[in-house]
Amino acid sequence: MNKQIRNPNAPVLWLMVLLFNFSVCKAQETQIRGFAEVLTGYTSETERTSFALGEQDLFITSELTDRFSFLGESVFKFSPSSPTFFDISIERIVVKYNVKGNHNILVGKHHTPINYWNDTYHHGRVFFPTIFRPDMFADHFIPLHTTGISVQGHDLGKLKFGYDLMVGNGIGSGEVSDNDESKSITAAVHFKPAENLRIGASIYSDHISQGAKDAHASDTVVTDVDQLLYSGSIAYFGKRFELLTEATLAMDNTDSTGTKQSISSYAYFGVRLKQFIPYIRFDYSDVPEGELFFHHDTKTSFTGGIRYEINYLTVIKLEYGHTETNTKEIDMVTAQLAIGF
Amino acid sequence: MKKLLYIIFVSASIIASTSAISLAQTKPLVVISNAKGAPSELKRTELVAVLRGEKQRWDDGTRISIALMKASTPTGEATFKKVYGMSGDEVNKYWLALVFQGKAKAPVFFNTATELETYISQTPGSIGIIEESNDVKTKPVMIDGKKSL
Repeated sequence: MNKQIRNPNAPVLWLMVLLFNFSVCKAQETQIRGFAEVLTGYTSETERTSFALGEQDLFITSELTDRFSFLGESVFKFSPSSPTFFDISIERIVVKYNVKGNHNILVGKHHTPINYWNDTYHHGRVFFPTIFRPDMFADHFIPLHTTGISVQGHDLGKLKFGYDLMVGNGIGSGEVSDNDESKSITAAVHFKPAENLRIGASIYSDHISQGAKDAHASDTVVTDVDQLLYSGSIAYFGKRFELLTEATLAMDNTDSTGTKQSISSYAYFGVRLKQFIPYIRFDYSDVPEGELFFHHDTKTSFTGGIRYEINYLTVIKLEYGHTETNTKEIDMVTAQLAIGF
Repeated sequence: MKKLLYIIFVSASIIASTSAISLAQTKPLVVISNAKGAPSELKRTELVAVLRGEKQRWDDGTRISIALMKASTPTGEATFKKVYGMSGDEVNKYWLALVFQGKAKAPVFFNTATELETYISQTPGSIGIIEESNDVKTKPVMIDGKKSL
């Protein structure tokens, strides 16, 4: 090492390396964008009004070659269990290879392409039509991420047909290894029969091994569960009206309990009055007794609010929410400033 | 009274000049492309699909790159209205969402037609829209058999 530093040509070589790297970076067309939010609100659960710092999401896109591209997404958020009170999580690392036309192969950690919200918004809170995610996301009814490989096509033919077929580490796995031999499979299709309208459906299949964390990550699954998720979604975001409704039927099978059917769904409706969008959303989920992966409960939520889009990067929302479960009722009033940068 | 007349006169002048600017903004638009990639004629529906990021490659396999004038320019504003049927803010939101989903490569936005034309001439597979002018040096793309939009 010392020998290299003493080499009189070393500075020139380093300069050449730096210049080469600079030109490579320039050719890569790398962009960094992000989202952040701040909130304030009152909840009857704590009977307090608080200010809250939401998550900060950074996403990087880079064109590597004519056919390879990269997308990375990292989230920084408050975590009381962290020594620094903040956690960093890698939400997506996707390398895409364009095979032909609109057909691609993707490898890495993805948003599971199970339905519209997960695929379209995820951490992009400035895009969210409401402040909070629907219960099916907040309660982890659907697997939000999958690490694996997928083939994807979009905007094919007159109906703008799209598909995703993904194989990945299943529920209970980490980002670097699977916790069992079986892989999760996601098969999704969608089409856009009219302007601003998207209709989609998907099937997710997984074998969840005993010992994996359950949907709420609070307990471990006491026996192997074979899971099938059937999802459907309709999204319409027009000039005047906005409609988004999604439902997932979960069929969890175990040797001891047989098949248990759970459902989670929501319907969002908004009316655009220039930059103001008053909206409502209903969420409903039902998990029967004896279900081993989800917690037994019936949950209904009503959300009503107004969104003010100052511009495409700055949005203010004011929202009232009422949630009822088998054991409690919660009322919330929340205001959010969500930005993109 | 004189003051009132003066205010009316100034207001009328401002409105008249604004209208004149608006008329100037409606100048026809032309679609231009690099010699490699785009065909010399497209249907309007095909153009819209390309500019909405619904097509990744041209039929010859060249990757599509979209070049647009910024929303803050009259040409950009006219392009968004005529081709996308959206405001500049809506187009920016549309593209940010598409890029965030990893579905498309973002367009490159320019302040001047000269910069846009230079990019088009240097980038295989690129397509863009500028105002109709005698100085256009890049390959024109006819839309529905017409030279301008």
